Amino acid sequence: MASDEEDDYMNMTFGEEPKAVTETSLQRRQRLKREGEIKGRVKSKAELAAEEREAREEALSKSMLEGAQAKKSKGFNMMAKMGFKGGALGSKDNADALLEPLRPEMKDGRAGIGLDSDRKRKLDEAAKDQQKKLKVDEEEFRDRVRKEREQARHERMAHGAMKVCERMDEEKQQLEAGELGGDDETTTKKKKRTLSTRPLKSIPVVWRGLVRRREEAERDRRMKYDLEQSSTTRLPEYEDDLEDADDKEAMGKTPTTYALVEDLDEEDPELDEFDALEPSEKLRRLVEFLRNEYNYCFWCKFTYPDAAMEGCPGLTEEDHD
Amino acid sequence: MADSKNSSKVSSDKTDRKRANSPYADATAKRLKSESKTEKPNPYLAHWEDESNMNNGFSKGSPFKAFKRRQTTAKQAAKAEDSDNNPFTGQPHSQQYFNILKTRRNLPVHKQRQEFLDLYQKSQILVFVGETGSGKTTQIPQYVVYDELPHLNHKMVACTQPRRVAAMSVAQRVADELDVTLGEEVGYSIRFEDKTSSKTMLKYMTDGMLLREAMHDHEMSRYSCIILDEAHERTLATDILMALLKQITQRRPDLKLIVMSATLDAQKFQRYFCDAPLLAVPGRTHPVEIYYTPEPEKDYVEGAIRTVLQIHAGEPEGDILLFLTGEEEIEDTCRKISLEVDELVRETDAGPMAVYPLYGTLPPYQQQRIFDPPPNPSKKGGRPGRKCIISTNIAETSLTIDGIVYVVDPGFSKQKIYNPRLRVESLLVSAISKASAQQRAGRAGRTKPGKCFRLYTEKAFKEELIEQTYPEILRSNLANTVLELKKLGVEDLVHFDLMDPPAPETMMRALEELNYLACLDDEGELTPLGSLASEFPLDPSLAVMLISSPEFYCSNEMLSITALLSVPQIFVRPAQKRREADEMKNLFKHPEGDHLTMLNVYHAFKGVMNRGEDTKMWCHQHYLSFRHLSSADNVRAQLKRIMETQGLELVSTDFHDKNYYTNIRRALVTGFFMQVAKRENNKIYRTLKDNNSAVMLHPSTVLGADYDWVVYNEFVMTSKQYIRTVTGIRPEWLLELAPVYYDLETWEGQKDVKQALKAVAEKMRRRNAMKGGK
Repeated sequence: MASDEEDDYMNMTFGEEPKAVTETSLQRRQRLKREGEIKGRVKSKAELAAEEREAREEALSKSMLEGAQAKKSKGFNMMAKMGFKGGALGSKDNADALLEPLRPEMKDGRAGIGLDSDRKRKLDEAAKDQQKKLKVDEEEFRDRVRKEREQARHERMAHGAMKVCERMDEEKQQLEAGELGGDDETTTKKKKRTLSTRPLKSIPVVWRGLVRRREEAERDRRMKYDLEQSSTTRLPEYEDDLEDADDKEAMGKTPTTYALVEDLDEEDPELDEFDALEPSEKLRRLVEFLRNEYNYCFWCKFTYPDAAMEGCPGLTEEDHD
Repeated sequence: MADSKNSSKVSSDKTDRKRANSPYADATAKRLKSESKTEKPNPYLAHWEDESNMNNGFSKGSPFKAFKRRQTTAKQAAKAEDSDNNPFTGQPHSQQYFNILKTRRNLPVHKQRQEFLDLYQKSQILVFVGETGSGKTTQIPQYVVYDELPHLNHKMVACTQPRRVAAMSVAQRVADELDVTLGEEVGYSIRFEDKTSSKTMLKYMTDGMLLREAMHDHEMSRYSCIILDEAHERTLATDILMALLKQITQRRPDLKLIVMSATLDAQKFQRYFCDAPLLAVPGRTHPVEIYYTPEPEKDYVEGAIRTVLQIHAGEPEGDILLFLTGEEEIEDTCRKISLEVDELVRETDAGPMAVYPLYGTLPPYQQQRIFDPPPNPSKKGGRPGRKCIISTNIAETSLTIDGIVYVVDPGFSKQKIYNPRLRVESLLVSAISKASAQQRAGRAGRTKPGKCFRLYTEKAFKEELIEQTYPEILRSNLANTVLELKKLGVEDLVHFDLMDPPAPETMMRALEELNYLACLDDEGELTPLGSLASEFPLDPSLAVMLISSPEFYCSNEMLSITALLSVPQIFVRPAQKRREADEMKNLFKHPEGDHLTMLNVYHAFKGVMNRGEDTKMWCHQHYLSFRHLSSADNVRAQLKRIMETQGLELVSTDFHDKNYYTNIRRALVTGFFMQVAKRENNKIYRTLKDNNSAVMLHPSTVLGADYDWVVYNEFVMTSKQYIRTVTGIRPEWLLELAPVYYDLETWEGQKDVKQALKAVAEKMRRRNAMKGGK
């Protein structure tokens, strides 16, 4: 039994009617002022053009055959009377007939054919690249930086290890030379000299790079020096009888002979291969080399007396933490 | 005699074949049967192919004695052409005739005359492909005349042309070739000018004219053969004619149709006409090398100038053809190139170069200059001179200039485009089609192997250009066409078999517009007003305006305005003398609008003419186009004749009456109520109803800022939008004169406009009430 109190489910109002908010005269004046400003503001040409373009695009994308508007259109009704049921006009077997009107394409300026699409393509590509980069940055920036730092550290340590190798080698040779007798300063110096002229290939690959790079730097320096000197050497020389050998040397007139490493100019695939390795791997091999050759632990900084290397916690850096 | 027997035998042979090949084999067969049954000559069909009757028609010595209609041979025709007397007029042939005859026989198409006749006689519809320079436009109609013998059966041969100028010049040429007077045996008929007589047997006409004729003669019964020339251009009228003739040829088996096209895309025509046979005649062409740019151009005009100069500096002898888009651009480029070439000549040993513009609205004598020979070397033994023609796409197909060896193609042309959703028809610079580009390139190979420089990349050519230019019917407002079709008796517009049917919305919009103009009723039937409007070769809105003008006592004035709107711009504004031109224009200025200003000009022009002064001089002094004003005068006379035959009164309000101009403005509203804009703020107007866009008054307008409501003649869509040729009106008139279009009950346009109009309606109501109260 329906009573009057019961909800009238046919009622069209939902919930409470929103109360009209009464605005004060001040608010009203402000609102009107605001609205007036918006209305009165003269739009810039660019704004107008953009608005126009937008309006045009909207109008162009709306089919007149769809929606309620079409049914009311007299033109549509006339066509319907002629048997139009949607689709294209013309005879039935004309498959090419247009369904939609052609779009007018507005051309600004005098850009040649293909320029717009070319620009667009380039922009697209650039945007894609940018996006990729952004992604990489976001996800891997920290990783990459950490890795780079790690690599640089390893590289530094590898360089240090190489120096250790050289020093070890020198000490070993000195020891050998000492065994042969004559342990004064000059012989060591001479020995050192011979060391640098010894063929690169005879140096173990793990630290050959160190020597090679030093020799290369030296060669370049000398070549530069020669080049600077060469312009003066070409001039006719004035022979001064008073000059003795020391004078000549001081004046740089004696032809300096360089004892370059003989195979410096040769290709060295073995070294290239080693150089191409990751710094950590280089370091690992160097550490191993030092252990095997000299019983030296790079991490302990200590030369053990025998190959067992008792007391060294292990092969890696972590082992020494 | 022997000849005649022979040919009849051949022809019977052919009719057999015809039965098999003709697209309408059944109908043809029926007709043949009925003919063979009637032994006695049927007097009612005397105009058909009654040979006995025909032979009697010839005087004894006539070169046509042995001719049988639609059974002649090339040999017979050649003999008749060689005879001393003109077979059509009986007059002796002039010497000039024989001179021309010699050149005619060198044309490529001449070699295939017999082949053409064989196919023509065999089939009702024939597709003929001949590249430009093959001679098809002048020769084929003559071949048909020699076979149809139209002077005997009193049915003409018609040849349509898309352009008026072509129709006129070709008719003149063919009259010379046949040694007859233009306007007699050979004539032409173009809008607002008919140069034919009762003797006319071959008629060149614009395609639009033939369409107009068909409105009163649905069967095209005056013609025995219709030739649609330049069908590849796919003008609106040619497209409609093709669809109409496709129907008529089924009803009229005696009507022959030849569709002539200059491009090899003829298969489409063949398919459309139920696989009609095709005959192709090669043109005289040489190979053309095509060059593309490696990178897209930043500025195609700059690129074009650069390319022309490079050609001039580095390529051997030969003229240059550069395609640009419009008058202004062309004139501007002409100047720039001339200056650059002067410099080139001063600094290097480059030869002289003459630069000529070419576009449709150029006066004929200036157009003629493009045929001048190139300039001579500036000094003896110097490098040869050359000419450079800068043209719109009229040099693409319609005009043939010999000597062109280099073509520069930036790939653009101005094209009309209409979109029913925007309701705006405008000329836009658009990329051309591949077919167009090919056509342009071909222009370089007319005299010797040539080169075509395309100012776009090969990739852009392949990927960005459409295959074929869209036919006009897809790019036009169809209001006029729909009205014509209705008048042509086409009931079912939806299934009308057009080669390329327009989009449904375009048709819908056209029907709607005609309904608002009261040319069609709600059922889509032609109203008396619509029927009357279709008599005028005008846009329906202009026609309706003209028809209603007597009600406003200004039909004389509206006639003038309509004529002025039907010709190109009458105001001349040379680039160097803009200020002087504007000052002169101000002399005629009417503050209420451009239509009235134009009317002032016309009245002044007529005044000068009536006083017997030198109108040409006067026009020159006042920066007006004499050519366009005279042509407007001519158009007016033609329209006046139509008004008179339709029984429309020619009246004027007294000039001193204060309502003289008001009446004219009110009459304008009857035609242009769908082209109204309301002012939004100082400079911006907004067009009304569903065509809702912000526009500015075109800088050329004389209208002061006093009017909030204006009618406009033209919507110019560029990067900015303008309305052009504008006159101020009062909003009351809209409600009063176009109550259906401005029905506020069903208004769905802008709300503020509705409010404004409502206020106006209220004011009107009160005023009327007050009047009633008094």
